[in-house]
Amino acid sequence: MTRVTIENLDRSYGGVRALKEISLEILSGEFVVLLGPSGCGKSTLLSAIAGLDPVQGGRILFDGRDVSQLEPSAREIGMVFQSYALYPTMTARKNMSFALRVGGASAAEMDARVNWAAQLLQIEPLLDRKPGAMSGGQRQRVAIGRALVRKAKLFLFDEPLSNLDAKLRNEMRIEIRSLHDKLGTTFIYVTHDQIEAMTLASRIAVMDRGEIQQFGTPDEIYRRPMTRFVADFIGSPGMSFLDASLDADGAAAALDGGRLPLSGYGYIDPPTGATKVTLGIRPERVIVDRAPGPGRLAARVRGVEPLGADSVIWLNLGGQTLSARVSPDQAQDLPPEVYVAFDLQGISLFDPITGLRL
Amino acid sequence: MTATRRAARIGLYSFLILSAAFFAIPMLIIVLTSLKTADEVRAGSIFELPSAPGLAAYAKAWSEACIGRSCTGIGTNFWNSVIITLLSTSISLLLSSLNGFALALWGLRRAGWVLGLLLIGAFIPYQVMIYPLVRMFAMGGMHNTLGSIVTVHVLFGLPILTLIFHNFYLSLPPELLKAARVDGAGFFQIFGLIILPMSVNVLLVAAILSVTGVWNDYLLGLIFAGPKFQPMTVSLNGLVGTQFGVPEYNVNMAATLLTALPPLLLYLLAGKYFVRGVTAGAVKG
Repeated sequence: MTRVTIENLDRSYGGVRALKEISLEILSGEFVVLLGPSGCGKSTLLSAIAGLDPVQGGRILFDGRDVSQLEPSAREIGMVFQSYALYPTMTARKNMSFALRVGGASAAEMDARVNWAAQLLQIEPLLDRKPGAMSGGQRQRVAIGRALVRKAKLFLFDEPLSNLDAKLRNEMRIEIRSLHDKLGTTFIYVTHDQIEAMTLASRIAVMDRGEIQQFGTPDEIYRRPMTRFVADFIGSPGMSFLDASLDADGAAAALDGGRLPLSGYGYIDPPTGATKVTLGIRPERVIVDRAPGPGRLAARVRGVEPLGADSVIWLNLGGQTLSARVSPDQAQDLPPEVYVAFDLQGISLFDPITGLRL
Repeated sequence: MTATRRAARIGLYSFLILSAAFFAIPMLIIVLTSLKTADEVRAGSIFELPSAPGLAAYAKAWSEACIGRSCTGIGTNFWNSVIITLLSTSISLLLSSLNGFALALWGLRRAGWVLGLLLIGAFIPYQVMIYPLVRMFAMGGMHNTLGSIVTVHVLFGLPILTLIFHNFYLSLPPELLKAARVDGAGFFQIFGLIILPMSVNVLLVAAILSVTGVWNDYLLGLIFAGPKFQPMTVSLNGLVGTQFGVPEYNVNMAATLLTALPPLLLYLLAGKYFVRGVTAGAVKG
């Protein structure tokens, strides 16, 4: 088990800064997911933690020990790659024992470790097959097994499920989760898939353009996004953003369709005067009514997307787009004009210029 | 099949047969002549079939024919060629695969520059470098030795072979290398345990290119090999050029066939790879 401390990490490729002064404290035994769109620097950060990519500034510490200059093999890590990266000319057994072999372990020890990992992952029947004779899911299991065999104190996963089909991905997700529960080792997991992040992580680091936008539990990330980017990136369908004017005391906001009470909103810094804000609202926190009422705003229905379990209604609120997630019954036979109210729990206010949460 | 298509087919096949004949007829003459006796060659047309086909000319070419004043045939030179080819090819393959691996996958700085220089090396006519090389070997005291001819072949083979390996290794997933580094393997362990076992096909291609190139070489063998390790091609020229009285065309032809046999056999046994070797420089991956 390893506590990972990252201090002011910097990495540039040519003129592009892939990582900008990244600092992160990952506790021992945590399951941390690095989440972000492609090009956000999440894989670069993982490579830096693994030692595969040299860093230009800052330090990486494992349990307080500076490992920034150590080779990957000296960091006691196990790593699983998106393309599995199994050695194609070796059987699963040889693949899994490779690290021990180059480390000079005895045959008995290699057998014991491989059998232990194979049993844990239920891949014993595959041990004498080569990667070419396995399915994608089996290969990924063997790749995880190869990482396990090394007695690593830290496991790194670089988009391990992206090459699998949807059903297999769900199964493997559950397996990786239970593997973490069994081993109790620190896991760092890179993905662009927010569902993987939300279901697996004990904490998520949302990254964009080489910076960590927010580091928190899945619940915090979802309910209290600290920047507009995080609010926009997490959730499907995404949060709707509306331009609004905040009253001087912050207790209400004026929108195109009417006024919205905001008393009880948890401001980080209470507003000091009337100001323009971006008001974000989660679709499932939009209440759709067919009749006007106090605190309800008039909106035009633009379309309905049935998703099976629920439906998404796309609305036009004074020229701005708003989505609402409702039950399929509610979405049936809608009049062209409806009235919406917002649940305060689903509202986030952002500074329209800096994008920071208010 | 319509009449025009049939006509096109006939035209096509006539052209192909003619082209094949263009190369096959000299070959046929060589084979026919080598099976005749010297008298029969002088008496008849070159297209006549041998009346009593025999391998006497081959035996003579191998062990008795005169090259200059020594009449020991080209048999010993065959073994010289074998030694030169084996040494040059194995050293070339080892160095160029290692080179290609380092340049393609090891993330060296300026790897692109080195490749560019190699490419230039592959296109400079090697005749340009002969004189400086002769001077260098003479100064180093190894002119006209086995070492010098092998060194020269390795040097001139490296650029194109390195490019072939480099292009092949570029097509491997870079994550493979990362996984091996996490597993704790060093440069040579990764190369020997993971990369080389995956390179069987490209090794064959490169070996075919190298073997045919080295075996068929004449000029470098003439200049650098010296009398002790004279390759077969050079002695063949000596044999054909040596005349006591009447030229023995049957022996000359037999010696020519013997010299050409190894690349021919290689082509017959590994034709698939041979074609790949020829196109390897042209197409990436």
